Amino acid sequence: MSTGWARRQEGAVPSERPGAGAASHGTGLSWNPAMNEQPTSPHIGRVIGTDPATPLEFWVAVREGCFLQLDDVLVLERELPGRSEPVRIYGMVSDLRARHEGARFDSDVFLIEEGVLPAQVTEAAKVLATRFEPEIYVTPVPGEVVRKATGEARDQALFFDGMKHRIPVGLSRDGEIVHANLEFLDGTRGAHVNISGVSGVATKTSYAVFLLHSLFTSGQLGAGSHNTRALIFNVKGEDLLFLDRANRHLDGQQMARYTALGLPAQAFRSVELWAPPRRGDPSAAPQTGSRGDGVTAFFWTLEEFCQDELLPFLFADADDERQQYTIVVHNVTARLRREATAAGEGGVRVGGVTCRTFEQLIETIGDRLEDEEARYDWAGRSIGAGTINAFVRRLHAARKDLGHLVRGDVPNPAKHRLDFQNQVAVVDIAKLSRRAQRFVVGVVLRKAFQQKEETGSREPLLFVVLDELNKYAPREGHSPIKEILLDIAERGRSLGVILIGAQQTASEVERRIIANSSLRVVGRLDSAEAGRPEYAFLPPAHRQRATISKPGTMILSQPELPVPLVLEFPFPAWATRPDEAEGPGEGGAEAGGAGGTGSGGEGSEGAGNGGGDPFTGLGGEEWS
Amino acid sequence: MRRVRGLAIEGWSPEYGVPVETDPDEVPSAQVDAGVEMPASEWRPLGAPEDAWTPEWIDFVDGVRRIDARVWITGADGDARLGLCASFAGGVVRCDRKAVIRALKVGRGFFGLAGVPDLHTPAGAFQACPVAEDDIQQLINGVQERMGQLEVEVADSGAAGGLIVLDGPLRGRQRIPGAIGYIKSHRVQYLATAPREVVARLAPRQRTPLFLIQTKWTRYSWYLRLSEAEGHPWAGIVRCEAWTESGLERVKEMADATAATLPRFASEPHKDDRAPQNLYPIAGLERELRRRLGDPGVVYRGLQRAVAAYHPSETP
Repeated sequence: MSTGWARRQEGAVPSERPGAGAASHGTGLSWNPAMNEQPTSPHIGRVIGTDPATPLEFWVAVREGCFLQLDDVLVLERELPGRSEPVRIYGMVSDLRARHEGARFDSDVFLIEEGVLPAQVTEAAKVLATRFEPEIYVTPVPGEVVRKATGEARDQALFFDGMKHRIPVGLSRDGEIVHANLEFLDGTRGAHVNISGVSGVATKTSYAVFLLHSLFTSGQLGAGSHNTRALIFNVKGEDLLFLDRANRHLDGQQMARYTALGLPAQAFRSVELWAPPRRGDPSAAPQTGSRGDGVTAFFWTLEEFCQDELLPFLFADADDERQQYTIVVHNVTARLRREATAAGEGGVRVGGVTCRTFEQLIETIGDRLEDEEARYDWAGRSIGAGTINAFVRRLHAARKDLGHLVRGDVPNPAKHRLDFQNQVAVVDIAKLSRRAQRFVVGVVLRKAFQQKEETGSREPLLFVVLDELNKYAPREGHSPIKEILLDIAERGRSLGVILIGAQQTASEVERRIIANSSLRVVGRLDSAEAGRPEYAFLPPAHRQRATISKPGTMILSQPELPVPLVLEFPFPAWATRPDEAEGPGEGGAEAGGAGGTGSGGEGSEGAGNGGGDPFTGLGGEEWS
Repeated sequence: MRRVRGLAIEGWSPEYGVPVETDPDEVPSAQVDAGVEMPASEWRPLGAPEDAWTPEWIDFVDGVRRIDARVWITGADGDARLGLCASFAGGVVRCDRKAVIRALKVGRGFFGLAGVPDLHTPAGAFQACPVAEDDIQQLINGVQERMGQLEVEVADSGAAGGLIVLDGPLRGRQRIPGAIGYIKSHRVQYLATAPREVVARLAPRQRTPLFLIQTKWTRYSWYLRLSEAEGHPWAGIVRCEAWTESGLERVKEMADATAATLPRFASEPHKDDRAPQNLYPIAGLERELRRRLGDPGVVYRGLQRAVAAYHPSETP
């Protein structure tokens, strides 16, 4: 017979105490400090019996004078017959409710407030169990005392105690560090991060960059941290072009949050910035916006284009076997590799014609395909004129998008080869057309992946930050870049290529890429999107919360924890806009690796940039 | 009886055959004096004067009782006698700016002829409560009396500045000094025809003049109308009582206070089927008291076990 009820009776009759039968079950009343060496706070409530308590989910009534908030971590114990050690059940508050006990009608609230009807306000918290220690999945007994888990108990509740190397990934609502297990990031047991969230509350890339900052500066990567690299594609605006500059809007409060996380509040120290060349500029000066200094222009020479077989990356559906013209793509690619010879400074000679521009190369290819004799070799056997025309049409469409990125008309082209020297390389593709963006991302990733394949070792790690995954690896269709991203998602773990991908809507991204991500992060979600099965890892309460997340708030799910954690991450310590950037030298940014096309040291205009921006400081206020 | 040989729980529902409401004090043949405040011929509806005393708080005192089981007690002579296991509670809710249950006591008793034992159950102990006669009415009176004792215990009768309202008529043996009895139903005609018409003419917040009722004990009484109720002329009318010991002037003051303040607590028909007479604070308190009596099924189960496990040797 349950005695929980009798225990709560505050009877008038003095002898009204639980009988002998009840005494054997006094766990709720007696808390033996000896069986709990961890520092735990005084009791905050009890498991209620009016809602069923299950091993995974139960309600706790909050004691008068105490309060609980969402994400609070709790612990309780249950004694089992025949076991000397109690089972310790850990959980996290996922929902809260308060109600009037004694009220039957909604309008009773007025009577209660007018002092006419007696009632009691009760608060209860819904708790999702995170851990059972030892692993005996029993239900908490109604009446059991519940405590807040602090210190070691909290680490146990959230499995932080078992993480050999743990990366601080944010702060909980009560200011405690939230960790992620490095083993699920570096490929040991898992890899890849996927971040979803609506844009405009632009925190996806901010969080990705914060993760990099934490990885690089927390010291958890150990000896390998020095060689660990990150490749970031800047797909929108100029947010990522000031990573090496300290953020002048970082106030003391935000700095304190870095301190709380055990991370330095500083900009990235070893950064290189790459931008596409200005169109029509014969010297290939970088096309930059507000960031003028320290940016190097990148392009591929015609020679590389032919030798490295880059042609398929011009086409979104070059791997789609239903398309006839893809045969032509692959034949032409092979032909170019075989027949193109170097003509100096990146130019090529194809069939006796010297090509120095992309346009010339395209014309030459077009000529070959129109030539009655050459067509057989270039297009392939029994290829119809219609198919060839389809290819030529597509090739010509790419001309204006890629003309400045593939060329052989600039002296000393090696200077412009994307050859990363510093710890963090930012490749700006924001101002490129979609086709050109796909080309750049595809080619760069393939090269990086091939290099890792050749070395065959996981370390040093390469982190790749790519937003708008839905563009590069959409759920439907085939393309060379999607194949590479899938390759990274599926094999990158063993090769040390870690994808930190982001998108507005996970439902539009290739499933296998999401499925291979160990860490899933959700920022603010559109409520229709939040209901999709891609977010099934979020409990209903978390889905609801995702629709009201503020900038700087993320929900993170990691393999070891059955419950996702809501966390906040600090305002960037690096500038995300010209007006936030402290001048070089002020912020302690310094040029990184040796011989690099490093940044930071050269510019002098950073401090004066954008001084009259009326939105100065807005970033700091949004970030509460 | 003295010596108990065995116990057995009556299989029938515990409440079966129990008189619904018993109020032995409401004697029809009461002596009524309608002329204590003003001559009966001058009777008229009275409103509270402008400078009337307003209590700082009102305490509503109430009790509930429940028969948990009927138990047959076999005595040494082999005769089976009826006993009752009952739970009862008394509580007080104070209404000033908030309505707060200030005190609440729960008791459980085993009522029967002298010699009834204590019964220990997982739901609490049912203390032996000997009564003189073992007919059902006497047993229930015993329960009522224990409940009344709890009401007296919880009532903060020493506090000044407020009004204590006891749900039900004043009872002589459990006297709460200064308390007002609050009677919702009118089963007894206390007034002659002429003054009775004044009751029908009462507007909300008006009262009749005081009258004196002399039965086993003497008290002042008055009628008041809580709210504009539709239907018969006595709808929305309640009767109050006060001890004569309080003095006529003080009782007049309290009567005015009840006419002015009690209508605030009157309930609405859609929330209470005894509206408006069943006041909100009392209804709320009663619900809480009943809740604190515990689940009847759990208590009954506990009693069954305790009775099955009972051995006469346990009692001295």
